[in-house]
Amino acid sequence: MAALAAAYSTMDMGGYLASDTVQTLGTDEEFSFLPNADPASLVEQFQNSNSVDNRIKFHSGTTTLGFKFKHGVIIAVDSRATAGSYIASQTVKKVIEINPYLLGTMAGGAADCSFWERLLAKQCRIYQLRNRERISVAAASKILSNMVYQYKGMGLSMGTMVCGWDKRGPGLYYVDSDGQRTTNYMFSVGSGSTYAYGVMDTGYKYEMSVEEAYDLGRKAIMHAAHRDAMSGGVVNLYHMQKDGWVKVSQTDVSQMYYQSLEEKK
Amino acid sequence: MFQSRSEYDRGVNVFSPEGRIFQVEYAIEAIKLGSTAVGVQTKEGVCLAVERRITSPLMIPTSIEKIVEIDDHIGCAMSGLIADSRILIDHARVEAQNHWFTYNEKMSVESVTQSVSNLALSFGEYDRKSMSRPFGVAILTAGVDENGDSVLLHMDPSGTYLKYGAKAIGAGSEGAQATLEEQYHKSMTLDEGIKLCLNVLKQVMEEKISSTNIEVGICKKEDGQKPGKFHLMGKETIDGLLSAL
Repeated sequence: MAALAAAYSTMDMGGYLASDTVQTLGTDEEFSFLPNADPASLVEQFQNSNSVDNRIKFHSGTTTLGFKFKHGVIIAVDSRATAGSYIASQTVKKVIEINPYLLGTMAGGAADCSFWERLLAKQCRIYQLRNRERISVAAASKILSNMVYQYKGMGLSMGTMVCGWDKRGPGLYYVDSDGQRTTNYMFSVGSGSTYAYGVMDTGYKYEMSVEEAYDLGRKAIMHAAHRDAMSGGVVNLYHMQKDGWVKVSQTDVSQMYYQSLEEKK
Repeated sequence: MFQSRSEYDRGVNVFSPEGRIFQVEYAIEAIKLGSTAVGVQTKEGVCLAVERRITSPLMIPTSIEKIVEIDDHIGCAMSGLIADSRILIDHARVEAQNHWFTYNEKMSVESVTQSVSNLALSFGEYDRKSMSRPFGVAILTAGVDENGDSVLLHMDPSGTYLKYGAKAIGAGSEGAQATLEEQYHKSMTLDEGIKLCLNVLKQVMEEKISSTNIEVGICKKEDGQKPGKFHLMGKETIDGLLSAL
């Protein structure tokens, strides 16, 4: 893997993976690395280390979910940040408001997600000014995916959902730092994603009403937060509508759980 | 004025003995061939109006874009070699977004103009990115900054930019400027400013003024210390204003 990265780093692929500097998607910006630095092999060294002591694994302790339905797209996220077993924060904003009609979610490295999605916001705005129309969700997610692909293997950790409403209707794309970019009607990302999928798959119907969809999103995060130690805090719920997104609610996860117990009685 | 063509007027980077760069001055002359553009600044906001100059009935008027948006709160009108302005406009847009990206604030109108002027000045440097000659276009930049101040700036091919209360550029600029000097005053409302722009254009345009052969852009001040909102005026609104003139 390191040999492969080294081989690519000396080829001039028109700006892709050039050895000293990397161009971010046709903008004039370049990140400058130290000469002879090789971030990819450094990362690989620590991620696949034989000694357990210095192995660094990137965790994405979070639960984020999104699903399309008849009346748009629902995005629900938790708000807990962990550093090992320490809960660093219960009030993290894991939904990034790219612009009034595009949302991005955060899973993995918080800095990675917010930085690249801010860069995405800048590119989307320039697109809109140059082409006199809003960027499509497909194009926006492709920009993000292409940007991070240039740093593949160098230790970026980002699992995000790009969500919006364009000429083709509601859009939901999953983009991650491994280079994956796929679209589907439902995604959940993070350490609590399996729990969220279970709840969502049980209750999902395309023709759901808006209130039912809000409930489903909140419940799925609540159950994930209940069982996954790395998820918790509050559920931030957003609804992507035709003219843009609205922030629906912010509900404390533990309060929701005790309320659900009450309702069962 | 330029009957005496000397040996100093060919080089883009050559000073004459009197200290003039002729190519830049000739570029400024090129603006006088362009269609007229007028800008008026008031406390409530800024107004820009340009003549589209439709040279053929087969031309589709809406494809002529002489007032463009740089960001939510800034717009630009140009006169001269319009193709040259496209590079400057794109640069301004990217700079404004870069500023937002880095500082999380709207770039001020003057800073945007300064970055455009930097580009306009970097001609003849013979690297991939710069032009081999001066840009043959003058630009009126209008906007309302984050602190609520409304600003109108004029930039010419020499890269010089100055603030104005009211300014006209292009073919009819001499007559237009004279009228502006007579009729403009600092305490105008935005509506009065728009009327002034339209009246001045009507006066200097050869064709009869209509909503198809002009473009009007306004940057309105919002209440309090907030950046303004720039938008192009719709056809119906322009029709209404023209009929009231």
